[in-house]
Amino acid sequence: MVEFPFEISPMFEGERVRKEGMFVELGGPKSLGLELVRAADMDAIEDDKVTIVGPDLKEMEEGKTYPWAMVFNIGGELVEPDLESVVERRVHDFINYCQGIMHLNQRYDVWMRVSKDTAAKMDSFEPFGKAVMMLFKTELPFIEKMQVTFYTDKAEVEKQLEAAKEIFKARDARTKDLRDEDVDVFYGCTLCQSFAPTNVCVVSPDRVSLCGAINWFDGRAAAKVDPEGPQFSIEKGELLDAKTGEYTGVNDIAKKLSAGEFDKIKLHSFFDSPHTSCGCFEVVGFYIPEVDGIGWVNREYQGMAPNGIGFSTMAGQTGGGKQIVGFLGIGVAYFYSPKFIQADGGWNRVVWLPAMLKEKIAETIPADLIDKIATENDATDIQSLKAFLQDKNHPIVATWAAAEEEEEEEEEEEAEAVAAAAAPMMMPAAGFQMPAMASMPMMSTGKAGGIKITFKKAKISIERMVISEKKE
Amino acid sequence: MTKVIAITGKGGTGKTAVAALLIRSLSKKGKFLLAVDADADTNLPETLGCENVKTIGDAKEFLQAEITKPRPDNPDMNKESVLKSKVYEIIEEMPGYDLLVMGRPEGSGCYCYVNNLLRGIMDKLIVNYDVVIIDAEAGLEHFSRKIIRDIDDLIVVTDASRRGFRTAERIHELVDELGSNVGRIHVIANKVTDANSEKLVKLAGDLKLNMIGMIPLDPKIEEMDIKGIPLFEIQDDSVAAVEIENIIQKLGF
Repeated sequence: MVEFPFEISPMFEGERVRKEGMFVELGGPKSLGLELVRAADMDAIEDDKVTIVGPDLKEMEEGKTYPWAMVFNIGGELVEPDLESVVERRVHDFINYCQGIMHLNQRYDVWMRVSKDTAAKMDSFEPFGKAVMMLFKTELPFIEKMQVTFYTDKAEVEKQLEAAKEIFKARDARTKDLRDEDVDVFYGCTLCQSFAPTNVCVVSPDRVSLCGAINWFDGRAAAKVDPEGPQFSIEKGELLDAKTGEYTGVNDIAKKLSAGEFDKIKLHSFFDSPHTSCGCFEVVGFYIPEVDGIGWVNREYQGMAPNGIGFSTMAGQTGGGKQIVGFLGIGVAYFYSPKFIQADGGWNRVVWLPAMLKEKIAETIPADLIDKIATENDATDIQSLKAFLQDKNHPIVATWAAAEEEEEEEEEEEAEAVAAAAAPMMMPAAGFQMPAMASMPMMSTGKAGGIKITFKKAKISIERMVISEKKE
Repeated sequence: MTKVIAITGKGGTGKTAVAALLIRSLSKKGKFLLAVDADADTNLPETLGCENVKTIGDAKEFLQAEITKPRPDNPDMNKESVLKSKVYEIIEEMPGYDLLVMGRPEGSGCYCYVNNLLRGIMDKLIVNYDVVIIDAEAGLEHFSRKIIRDIDDLIVVTDASRRGFRTAERIHELVDELGSNVGRIHVIANKVTDANSEKLVKLAGDLKLNMIGMIPLDPKIEEMDIKGIPLFEIQDDSVAAVEIENIIQKLGF
């Protein structure tokens, strides 16, 4: 093992180099700082080489701040451009393992400090560069060759920054295009299990966590650093149904983490085996049986939804880590998913959004639908919502006609069917099957609360059902 | 090992003054310390002579806003290192010690993830110091969130009022409920006069509270307060500063 002038240990990860104890500051809030990892051909890399462009450590003045850029090249049989960001995320960890060197932030906001003690032990950044590369090659063995260039000359740093910004832009475009089918592993998060013990948050490229804070990339990074931590990998297994987003691996983890409470989670389904809802979701979706559509209400919206209930009441009913058929908690970013509740009609099923939310996500709403989705300015109750949807010819209206025809065939007494429809127990007509285990929330219009009936493995056949209001 | 001391108590009992005096004495002794203002209501920074404005609350809001953007600019952002950078930027470097202000309570969204990141950052930050002194509000919110996990000494400051003691008793109960990792709980009686000292001792005894110090009512402190002089600049021979020396010894320094 090569000797380095400073100690190397994860113990130094949170080490803070104070102004008083600092030799120089590199990058940071007062200057320019960059880190970049690039895959390169094996032949183009001189292993373990450190190049310094601009003043080296011994030429720096104590107490000063210098611009800083570091560009790592990695090579290896398994190294490909997609790995660049994975490797780059570890730069923060490995630099902080070096005693007396503080590293903060990422990409073009990098901020470093070198302590007086460490600066006294070396004249050059070379041993530092070698130490970091040693850590990379030890911890990520797919890196076979590595070299680094440190830039401290302002003009050079600016040049590198310009070039890097383009690289980051292209990389971000690629990450945004990543789909569920492009990966083999999803991630789970159990942070919410402290108050929603059966909640299983499944994070896939096409489905952000319910709180909106954790995406697939965060899951990947966290699971790599601490596989036993709150974020962990889920082998997605066999694809059972592309439309609903059902995978054997997800079902297995659902069963395990909910302690058998449920055995299926379909990632892009609203009605059948939907994702569980923790309580921290940014938005909650609710089924409106009278129009067979789905409305969504965000946490910030203070008013009532057309079903006469506000966010907090719905959140109370939905949260707790259960599969509540008829309600679904999501993160705002899920509206942007190309698989957004695709099992149940996607955007064609959306009938109501608070105006503030609609405005916020307008760019992702299909252009032909945007004017057909009501807000509180268009509809505040079921009656006005129905009228609005009919007036705008929302695609859901076509399914009403189909449903009515069916009813006419099946029901003899039309009048009673209408009475039944007035109470919100009408099942969604098209293609809706009673799930094997369903919790169908019932509530009377205009009132919060209601009761919940849970059917487990039920088979129900009804000749005729009349639901009417209780008369005292 | 870092020693974590939290100072709490009913508002108006002078807990911030006690915290500032402890910080002053310990840092004079050469202890490298982190002062944490964990009470949105207090003015520890001013008491220490620092016009600090940025807070952990700001850092959390910044990250929360960034990561809950429906279309994040960089989905693969290293959130831990970004939050850590913000926290390290906020830390105010005072002569001989660092100051960190927790600041405003969080907004309405879910902060589980951000708080989880913050917990990890705080764990690693704390080991940088010999002592961490926390000026905490009586509800101990940051401890219930386990942003700071372990407390070696919890000091409840009270004046001679029955309500001050009631708060002390409630905090005692709260600690049990929280299941926090609290080593020892002490009481410091503040603004003690000849007239109320006996009553204070008796009250503490009745409530089975461990009294480790009685700070006399110090006219100099009131004078400094009126003139707006940071308490940090108090004279060594003032009666309050002398009693703080005794308390520090009892705390094992």
